[in-house]
Amino acid sequence: MREDSAEVLAERIREVDPLELAKKRPEWSASQPVTRGQKMSGAVILLLIIVALVISPLKTLQVMVAGCILFYIVLTLYKFIVIRASVCKSATYNFSPEEIAAQEPREWPIFTVLVPMYKEPEVVKQMVNGLREMDYPPECKDVQILLEEDDELTLEAARKLEMPPGFKIVEIPESFPRTKPKACNIGLALAKGEYLVIYDAEDLPEKDQLKKAVMAFEASPDNVACIQSKLNYYNPRQNILTRWFTAEYSTWYDLQLPGLSALRALIPLGGTSNHFKVPILRDLMGWDAYNVTEDCDLGVRLVRAGYTTRMLETTTWEEACSDFRLWIRQRTRWQKGYIQTWFVHMRSPWQLSRELGFINSLHYHLLIGGGPFATLINPIFWGLAITWFIFKPDQVATLFPGPIFAAGAVCLFLGNFVFIYVNLLGCCKRKRDDLMWLSLITPIYWAMMSYSGWRALLQFFKDPFLWEKTQHGLMGKK
Amino acid sequence: MSDKSVVVERRGWIGEALAAFVVPALLAAGVVAVLLRIDPHWEPAAQAAGVCRELIAGSNEGRQALLGSCWVAPLPSLFYLPFAWLLPEPLAGWVVFFGGWFFLLWSVNEGCRSTGASWWRVVLAQVAVSAIALLSGGAVRQLVPVLAGGLLVLAASGLADWSAERRLRDLVMTGSAAALLLLTGLPFFGVAVLTVLALPLAACGHRETRVRFSAWMLLVGLPIVYAFWVWLLMNRLVLGDLLFFLRSLVHVTDALWKLAGALIVPGVVLALVLPLVWWLESRKGGEPGAGRSAGTLVLLGTALMVLMSERLLGGCGISWEVAALGLGLPLLLVVAVTRLNQPCYQLIVMLVLLSLVCRIDSSSSEGGESRAADSAVICSQVEEFVDGATPYGRVFVLGYSGIELLRGYSGERLVPNLDLHIDGVREAYKGQNLYVLVPEPVGKARTESVFWRYPDIYTHGYERLLYAGAFGSWHLFEIITAPTQEQVDEWRRSS
Repeated sequence: MREDSAEVLAERIREVDPLELAKKRPEWSASQPVTRGQKMSGAVILLLIIVALVISPLKTLQVMVAGCILFYIVLTLYKFIVIRASVCKSATYNFSPEEIAAQEPREWPIFTVLVPMYKEPEVVKQMVNGLREMDYPPECKDVQILLEEDDELTLEAARKLEMPPGFKIVEIPESFPRTKPKACNIGLALAKGEYLVIYDAEDLPEKDQLKKAVMAFEASPDNVACIQSKLNYYNPRQNILTRWFTAEYSTWYDLQLPGLSALRALIPLGGTSNHFKVPILRDLMGWDAYNVTEDCDLGVRLVRAGYTTRMLETTTWEEACSDFRLWIRQRTRWQKGYIQTWFVHMRSPWQLSRELGFINSLHYHLLIGGGPFATLINPIFWGLAITWFIFKPDQVATLFPGPIFAAGAVCLFLGNFVFIYVNLLGCCKRKRDDLMWLSLITPIYWAMMSYSGWRALLQFFKDPFLWEKTQHGLMGKK
Repeated sequence: MSDKSVVVERRGWIGEALAAFVVPALLAAGVVAVLLRIDPHWEPAAQAAGVCRELIAGSNEGRQALLGSCWVAPLPSLFYLPFAWLLPEPLAGWVVFFGGWFFLLWSVNEGCRSTGASWWRVVLAQVAVSAIALLSGGAVRQLVPVLAGGLLVLAASGLADWSAERRLRDLVMTGSAAALLLLTGLPFFGVAVLTVLALPLAACGHRETRVRFSAWMLLVGLPIVYAFWVWLLMNRLVLGDLLFFLRSLVHVTDALWKLAGALIVPGVVLALVLPLVWWLESRKGGEPGAGRSAGTLVLLGTALMVLMSERLLGGCGISWEVAALGLGLPLLLVVAVTRLNQPCYQLIVMLVLLSLVCRIDSSSSEGGESRAADSAVICSQVEEFVDGATPYGRVFVLGYSGIELLRGYSGERLVPNLDLHIDGVREAYKGQNLYVLVPEPVGKARTESVFWRYPDIYTHGYERLLYAGAFGSWHLFEIITAPTQEQVDEWRRSS
């Protein structure tokens, strides 16, 4: 595996087209964020709303409020159903240490590990050591550290280290867009493994994760193209933000995604620790270099192509963002990516619903479109509720006639409670009991999410390809 | 995490569908059909229908009626609301009762399946429950006991499963069901709170789970605390008084401490059951959880607790409410017996015995429920009387009984009014001849807020209230208003 000389590697990198997807299947790429047809449709809908508002403002507003409340009810029920499904035995693949030990002696397939990094010299050593210590035969590891050509500091830090066998540094040539998926596409082209996984620079995967992933692939049907590991944070107690963030991740990876897996539903992949079958990933032309949540987009494309994703009972420990401003930037990118993904796949809605099927279409709209939409409308309804509680103006009351008032009250009191309670459950399942009390004031965290949601929406139109990178190593610095 | 799913898989989807959906739906339809045959004018939730009518109309009375009394708790009305919106009366009432009974039988399936009970055992249990209700002369004809029965089974079986195996889902089930039970009415307050308290205590028998006591307490207790807090908050926001829905307690019961005692004392059963659960757990050793026998013990303990609540509350002068608990005991016994997984003939014998022995006493549960036909007659008589006296008459029909009386009324002369503010209505309806129609303060009607504002209003009226006549058990009073200056001038001119 050390046969690649620097020149050969550079030559092969030059041959790779990381933007293959955008060129060959532009309809699947976010290179054009909003198509002409979508712009037209949006304009028509906006015009209709304006006309309706002019003709009958009260009725129009009542209909819009009723629509939003119906959306909240559906979202709450959906959350309930998914969380309920997460307790199924089939929700995750689970292998005990004894089962893993019983596999030996055997030949393990080559596993490619991609580690895209940018301006993170301080974590290179930790990352290399962590991957070296993973319980997988060294001769079967194909580790690629993907570094940008102009990132001198990280390159220097990496070059100083003595790389173990099977590890190599891949320099990504400078080009637009400067995104993680573009680097990963190059890594995919160079991959030697049967399977491939992505880790972030600061990730600490459980030592036996690669073996578990191989066993999960072997135990799963042929159409399982991806195995997603659980993610969680190793610094929850750093500050209030990391506590909330950990509670949210515990809910997402320990309840929500296993629930989706049990329902055999579409899973928006997490940024790291997703294990792929390389040939299928190549067939799908890898990641969309223009999408800022390329993982989520890939999760949808897998299902559209007839494949599926399952969850694996193993955890990769990451560093939770502990800085408010950086958290906003990170969350903005995630939400913008979800918006991008929703628009990309909604270019031909009928084809999408045919490929996904009815149930997965619902999952798609509620997860990918519904999430950001909820964060956008939340502040409006919180504002209305607070205004009504304090001032009781008639104008607010007229927006909620009879049954809409009752349904709105159910959403306000039951819906919000369900979301908080699910957070508590996530913490409890992860045995993070100390985070549970703080989860009671999660609505403050939701307000922050709404802020980043609006920021994401604006940025989607203004600067769709801007990659607001998550900065790691803050814990060490502090 | 796994065993419940294993059971489901073992049952197969047909068995699962039969036990969870098909048989409950058929039995529920059968129960509705039998009850309709016994009484074609049967209305399972007349009061909730009236409250929903007001809610759909968006009136303040509706909001107050939904939240303003611990005797007419919000859950049944909220359950009724979508049906009232979509369907005409009395169909909505029957469909709601069908839904309630379906939920009850579904909860029997939920309560049994964790023990690996096969689908036909569950079906037998569901048949037994339906038989008990019908053999009791259709005693369970109201929505509240049916809904509460289902919730009780979910809460108790969740607690039993938790004691047996410590699964997170059981904790959630108990907490959620207990919170909804609290919203079903005052008789269930005690059972709901005690069940919630018992859950984290049951985990104290094992070192590993004991350290997580606060987490269990928070998870299981939060729904009930939150439900109560929302009820309080809505009373503050809608009625301006945080404790409005509880105020009647002071006026209805002989002594408040007696009522509080009746709600809490059944907890003694837990003091006996929990040490046994800990002992079983210590004997079992190994994994947390005391095993299935502990689950059965907890279920029987909860059944005993329900029985004690029924007896103790009955002695507090609120017997019309206590009947709602009546279904709880046979239900929990049927579930406990089915969970034992004994041989088929034993199960059948035990269920038949239970069906023959258990009788649900609801002789006093009807308190205030009136038939639609009778209500229509009273409404038209009052309307006729008032029209004969003045063309500008307005009749305020008081209390929840009034809302129930007006559920099928479409005129404008009679309007519901929950707690009469005489000066307020005189000010609001200047120049009109105002009347008040007062229900007889018996049974649940005693709890109406109007009777703790004006205790003798039914017999003696009040300041500026002049007796005008009796219509059925209702008394009509005219509100005497001072003439306006214009009226005085008019009279002077004419005389």
